Amino acid sequence: MASDDPIEQDILIVGAGLAGGWAAKTAAERGVRDVAVLSKVHPLRSHSGAAQGGIAAALNNVRVAGGGDGPLEPVPPGAEPPDSWELHLFDTIKGSDWLGDQDSMEILVREAADIVYAYEHMGCVFSRLPDGRIAQRRFGGHSVPRANYAADWTGHVLLHTIYEQAVRLGVRFYSEWYVLDLLIDDNVCRGLVALDIVTGDVHVMRAKAVLFATGGYGRAYKITSNAHANTGDGVAIAYDAGVPLMDMEFVQFHPTGLYKHGILMSEACRGEGGYLVNKDGERFMARYAPGKMELGPRDLVSRSEQQEVNEGRGIGPDGKGIWLDLRHLGREKILERLPQVRDLAIDFVGTDPITDLVPIQPTAHYSMGGIPTDNDGRVLGDGVRMPVVGLYAAGECACVSVHGANRLGTNSLLDASVFGRRAGAAMADFVLGGAALAPLPPTAEARALGRLRRYQEGERTETVDAVGQALKTTMTEDCGVFRDGAGLARARESVGELQRRYRSARIMDRSRRFNTDLLSALETEHLLTFSEVIVAGAEARTESRGAHFRTDFPKRNDENWLQHTLAFRAAPGEPPRLEYRPVRIDWERYPPQERKY
Amino acid sequence: MTETATLRIQRFNPDIDRRPRLEPYRVPLTADTTVLDALHWIKAEVDGSLTFRRSCRHAICGSCAMNVNGRNVLVCKTSLVKEAARGRAVTVRPLPYLPVIKDLVVDRSSFWEQYLRVKPWLVPPETTPVREFRMLPEEVAALHNAETCIMCGACYSACQVVALTKEYVGPHALLKAFLRVLDPRDTIPGERLAEVSGHDGAFRCHTIFNCIEACPKGLNPTQAIETLRQLAQKRGWFEDERRQRQTRLVESEPAAPAGA
Repeated sequence: MASDDPIEQDILIVGAGLAGGWAAKTAAERGVRDVAVLSKVHPLRSHSGAAQGGIAAALNNVRVAGGGDGPLEPVPPGAEPPDSWELHLFDTIKGSDWLGDQDSMEILVREAADIVYAYEHMGCVFSRLPDGRIAQRRFGGHSVPRANYAADWTGHVLLHTIYEQAVRLGVRFYSEWYVLDLLIDDNVCRGLVALDIVTGDVHVMRAKAVLFATGGYGRAYKITSNAHANTGDGVAIAYDAGVPLMDMEFVQFHPTGLYKHGILMSEACRGEGGYLVNKDGERFMARYAPGKMELGPRDLVSRSEQQEVNEGRGIGPDGKGIWLDLRHLGREKILERLPQVRDLAIDFVGTDPITDLVPIQPTAHYSMGGIPTDNDGRVLGDGVRMPVVGLYAAGECACVSVHGANRLGTNSLLDASVFGRRAGAAMADFVLGGAALAPLPPTAEARALGRLRRYQEGERTETVDAVGQALKTTMTEDCGVFRDGAGLARARESVGELQRRYRSARIMDRSRRFNTDLLSALETEHLLTFSEVIVAGAEARTESRGAHFRTDFPKRNDENWLQHTLAFRAAPGEPPRLEYRPVRIDWERYPPQERKY
Repeated sequence: MTETATLRIQRFNPDIDRRPRLEPYRVPLTADTTVLDALHWIKAEVDGSLTFRRSCRHAICGSCAMNVNGRNVLVCKTSLVKEAARGRAVTVRPLPYLPVIKDLVVDRSSFWEQYLRVKPWLVPPETTPVREFRMLPEEVAALHNAETCIMCGACYSACQVVALTKEYVGPHALLKAFLRVLDPRDTIPGERLAEVSGHDGAFRCHTIFNCIEACPKGLNPTQAIETLRQLAQKRGWFEDERRQRQTRLVESEPAAPAGA
């Protein structure tokens, strides 16, 4: 333990994206003095900044002229509002394939307009209509245009805006610090143990409230839109500390990742009118979602693409690609609305969308599942109602659940912001209401130090990278867009075998200072931890719902499976213990329906 | 036989090494290999202690700015084939003029301090409308040059003035100041212009244009600095203009309430 330890804070937030940023800002604004944010990358490097297309809210600034897929026009003053939170709620419920908890989803959509205006008032530079209102565009699965955007760098401007506000309010940032362990004892969170990456020092950090806002875990897959940092650290660490994980089998594949790279080409490409085309030049979505075409929800569009590929109508040397056609949008629109994705296509696959087709493929994008919380970010130790005192989670690492089995585009920036803010408010109430620092367990840092030591001692008979690559191959091939019982059984065995192999993994860099070799080892350990949970949930769930599609059980089965999966850590070597809890559904207003687009 | 390229990478761990050295590495080369791919390959296959920052790998997070063959770039979008043209070795160094933490990782403390110095946050009017402030599309367009800055530090570490003195606020911070000064919602453009026209501010820029060349996002800090200089000369007028403009920030609320 370092000499000045333990470090003490009122509130300690892990992760500096939109969820962490909102929580920090809100708590500081409400008068909590010592708010700190810890992040393994500089806060402005957080992956929220990579979000492109928009943030959903029924602002009623734009409507479809003439209905259907006609052009958009500003809503004139006094005109009938085309959108409402109720409509946003229904679209979100349908998108979730009825697995989202409807009371939580209602909070999400009812706070949407307020949070978008809050961003605007704090300085976020949104794109505008001629009369100065915020511009809106179409997005998949939304029945009206409600994606509020800043060109195609929406996440970037939101991230910078919220970070600036947190700094202005005196929030302290531990930049390039990495969490190693979460200290929960007797159902009370006492703090955490973290590594200062630059110095290599390990610190015990006490806090009255801890928030995990650590983001998603797309890095378990070979083709992903996610940053290298998105390794599900918070999810794995919470699970190891005894917190269950919810609905982990629901992993979203985004339909338009750049071919072979997985880099995101915003859904705004299709929102602005882009086409998906197979090798025969056919707009194949007409066969899968005739009503919505390319603007079907992501799970459906990704499956359609994969189906085309599987049936030999894909493009590229391996036939695993699909064409994204933006050419008919014209130069002006592409430069104004999609400047970033144009640059990405030019830089990474060497084609200019103004003149050329862009090769794309489904890419692991978003984690619907995660750490179960209530509507104020309190982590539920039993996954149902019992909070772990002082522990909170928000954003992609959390599962409220507002996305259910499939998230709609532009609802993630909204989720991170709304529930980050709510968690910040709840932590402020908790701290200002007289919460005290809970005593530390003896030798609090022992487990964390053990984790570090084991990679640096002894002979290197296995490498981190080899195991990591094998895991990504397994997850992509056997736990991807399409799944079946045989593949999932293979994946289970393979992940188990890789976990065993990983015990021999050692690293080359044995120095203390900025040891990224060590970070990769810890991150890969996290991938192995939660991948087992994804596979277990997927193998048990013998139905198809949202992003989880079983070719051997191709139908949704509400009778048996209209319920959330909860996975608990079992004894070492034992598979996760799975439990289930019902989905909160308003049976009067939004009973399950067949999901058709 | 697969094609290969040679990288010469600056290695330096201040805890162990007396001075930085260039180490050669041979890496596989395909048409779409980036310099970042090559660094990853070396780290996995040759030497796990090779240290560099990276995250998003598509030019939006700003982590991986380094100096490749003498130019500051984001290595995630830098093609190795192009850098290795005609079989030349590709030299990779950390961003210049900044303290090295380890290998290709630099200490950007001064960069962030200067960023905070310009109060990067908007200071909006005290009363906020129920809905959004009204901003015209052309006002938004005028901010694009600054809005898309990813704070990678490529411009800062290419700047000859920064190289001479860390007192200078730097192109990135001035670009941020420009973003706020030009934003019709900001209420303190006069104070900002006074600040940036001080000793370490916009007039310190020697207009060498290194920042423009270095910017991986194609932005133009020099032009922003030039605008700040001009506005600083007529600060009173600009403040009046802003006050005038702000009377039109809140239009009469449209009849359709949000989320109705």
